[in-house]
Amino acid sequence: MNLIKFDIRSQICPATLLIALKEINRHTQSLEEGTVKLVFLTDNRDALTTIPESVTNMGYSVNVIKDENCYSIEVSGGER
Amino acid sequence: MISEDEIKRLTSQNAELQRKYQASVRYIRDKVDQLLTVMGTSPLKPEELDDETLIGVDPIGIISNSFVQILRHLHRTNEKMKIATDEIKAIFESAGIGILVIDGDMRVLEYNTMLAKHFFDGSSGIIGQPCYKFVCRLEDAKDCPFMAIFKAGESVHQEKWLLHNRYYNVVGTPVINDSNEITMAVVVYVDITERIRKDEELRQSEEKYRDLFENANDIIQCIGPDGSFQYVNRAWNETLGYGSEEVSDLTIFDIIHPECDDCRSEFKTVVFGEKPGRIETKFITRDRREIIVEGNINNILDKDRVVGTRGIFRDITERKRAEESLASEKERLLVTLRSIGDGVITTDITGTIVLINKVAENLTGWSQQEAAGRPILEVFNIIDEKTRLKADNPVCRALKSGETVELENHTILVARYGAERVIADSVSPIMDTRSEIIGAVLVFRDITEKKYMEYRLLKAEKIESLGVLAGGIAHDFNNLLSGILGNIDLARTVYVLRDEVNIMLSRAEKATLMAIDLTSQLLTFSKGGAPIKKMASISDLIKCSIDFVLRGASVRCESYFSPDLWQVEVDEGQISQVINNLVINAVQAMPEGGLILVSAENVIVGQSKMQGLKEGGYVKIAIKDEGVGISRENIGKIFEPYFTTKQTGTGLGLATAYSIINNHHGLIDVESRVGSGTVFYLYLPALEGTVESKAEPPTTDQPATGRGKILLMDDDAIVRETAGDILKHLGYDVAFAAGGHDAIQIYKKALEDGYGFDAVIMDLTIPGGMGGKEAIGKLLEIDPAVRAIVSSGYSSDPIMANHIQYGFAGVVAKPYKIQNLGEVVNKIISKV
Repeated sequence: MNLIKFDIRSQICPATLLIALKEINRHTQSLEEGTVKLVFLTDNRDALTTIPESVTNMGYSVNVIKDENCYSIEVSGGER
Repeated sequence: MISEDEIKRLTSQNAELQRKYQASVRYIRDKVDQLLTVMGTSPLKPEELDDETLIGVDPIGIISNSFVQILRHLHRTNEKMKIATDEIKAIFESAGIGILVIDGDMRVLEYNTMLAKHFFDGSSGIIGQPCYKFVCRLEDAKDCPFMAIFKAGESVHQEKWLLHNRYYNVVGTPVINDSNEITMAVVVYVDITERIRKDEELRQSEEKYRDLFENANDIIQCIGPDGSFQYVNRAWNETLGYGSEEVSDLTIFDIIHPECDDCRSEFKTVVFGEKPGRIETKFITRDRREIIVEGNINNILDKDRVVGTRGIFRDITERKRAEESLASEKERLLVTLRSIGDGVITTDITGTIVLINKVAENLTGWSQQEAAGRPILEVFNIIDEKTRLKADNPVCRALKSGETVELENHTILVARYGAERVIADSVSPIMDTRSEIIGAVLVFRDITEKKYMEYRLLKAEKIESLGVLAGGIAHDFNNLLSGILGNIDLARTVYVLRDEVNIMLSRAEKATLMAIDLTSQLLTFSKGGAPIKKMASISDLIKCSIDFVLRGASVRCESYFSPDLWQVEVDEGQISQVINNLVINAVQAMPEGGLILVSAENVIVGQSKMQGLKEGGYVKIAIKDEGVGISRENIGKIFEPYFTTKQTGTGLGLATAYSIINNHHGLIDVESRVGSGTVFYLYLPALEGTVESKAEPPTTDQPATGRGKILLMDDDAIVRETAGDILKHLGYDVAFAAGGHDAIQIYKKALEDGYGFDAVIMDLTIPGGMGGKEAIGKLLEIDPAVRAIVSSGYSSDPIMANHIQYGFAGVVAKPYKIQNLGEVVNKIISKV
């Protein structure tokens, strides 16, 4: 599985969300096929709510991991 | 060149376009903010994205694409939801429980088929109606416990709720919305009527089995793999004497008898899964009593694993004792039955043989194994002795009549291989406790010997009475002959006679001697006296007799004597006479010639083996001919005096033989078959000690004369006269006495007068008076030195043989002959 990281630190909402949604849209097919996992590095706390909620509504799985300086939001093909 | 107007128009147009662009950007920005808000995030800030970047980033496009994905996801979710709803609906309908959905006013919102079936099957229009009307069939819900669901917001449980004769477990659960309001309640009804009924049945069944378990008379125990008791019943406690509280401290090894190693190992094998089945062993009770038990052990399995053993036992101690006692009783009865001296046969009601004892086995020739199960008629084959026809079987008669049946006389039992025995028997029906016939017992005995003995006894009595008669006649006759012979003797001695007279007297003497011989035979035959026995070789005696008799006869004789033949103690003359008679008979039975077989052997007669003989050693003599034989009618009479089938016979030969052998304490027997021949058997007691033969004194031709005074006692006047003449002729003085009393008086008076007698001659027996036997005692009292001579015609009398013992000095046989009398008197008087 390909891991594609996006460093969107220093970005704030809604830009963070828009960037995340844009990348998810771009990788929709790969995500659905389960060949790719997108990881968004962010330091925006609002994004920890907005991204997972939107991504969940879109039917993907979300996992939030707290790193030392930021958060990793992992998005992968959910249970369709 | 661009005109001013054009510039103005273009400026105005540019301003317009600028305004429209601004309006468009504002619009886009508004819609982006709107969309971002829908997405749950904050609106865009102008400093975040300038208008140009905003257009370039295309947030609407991004969000629209996301919406497409969201909608697609929602669509999928809706499809799943629908399936789930359908599933729930199916579950709702198909659940084996009644489900009711009500609102806060207890009105029915929904219900499933099972609920309808429980409470209002077939009814419609239930939705919207109060549940209590249809479920509880009540007018109001004031006592309804499920009201509490809406009041307290909690689940309500009702167990074993009785509704319309059925039991339900009911659970009501509130349904709470997002606003935390109780919008409805789901009430679930589980019909437990069947379960309760089954529980009740189970309880009753358990109670029943417990009742059986506790009240069983057999002892029941359940034992764990370690030998500990898991449970025992009341009978166990009572039988083994342990209280319920003590059982937990015990193991099976505490109650198995120490000697019963088999039982211990049996228990262990059961624990390891073996199935021993039936078992008999011994247990030890609390008070160390030993009990015998029998029963079954099974293993208790849990998923193929042995978790214990179950044993059901019965205390058979008493039964065992009774069985042992019965067996011993049976054994004793059987032994008794088999030891009974009579034959015993028992049959069942059909006359089939059940039991036959040893004696019956011997008599019938059928063993117990062979006879059992056979009809009595086959084994007990009886015929009439005289007609030889089959006799009525008494068993059949007894079974038919139910009464004891005695067998007819003259019945013969024909054994399996033809042997015939005369039997006496009786048959009694065997009755059970209800007096019903269940079989018959036949008791019979072999009376062949008894009959033979009876016959012999009868014959012996007959012969004895004849003997007395013959003896009496012979005694008198002998006295008469004494007179005749003495006088002839005297006449020839005293006078010198002419030859013709001498010849006549010789004839008279010969005839008299023949008469004396006949008298002697009669006296021998009669009970007149015992034989004068001497040790003798029977073979020599037989040989001598055979030689004498067979001289000139046309028969051959073969003899066989055992080389170690025992000696016998016999009167040689008498036994010779017996053998002579038997051999003569044999010769006469074979007028055309033939063979006589004579044999002698030693035999031992044991107890009861030979009727009429004492136990001991005997010499058995057999004299067998091939003659005409003796018929059945005659064979019983041959030993009777004067019975003869021969024209020239006296009828005294066999009677005398019988008497002689009887006096020798022996036995004479006969076997004969007409046309085949006859065998006579003589049994003579073998000698245990030896008898000294007495040397006979030499005799001279001339009668011895002498002097002296002699007292002659005889009841017969002729005898007195003749003997007196002979004694006087020989030189003696003679006085006479007719009986014992006279003799004693005369002897006593002469002694007192000083002229005592030198000798006294006394007749041994005086009919109706005192004979010599008694008188000698008196005389000895008067004169211990008396010299008395006993005389008698019964030469075989024991006193004659042993006269010294009786006090006599000598003995002289009658009829008197001068020679003999002279010698004896002379010898007695000479001794003085």
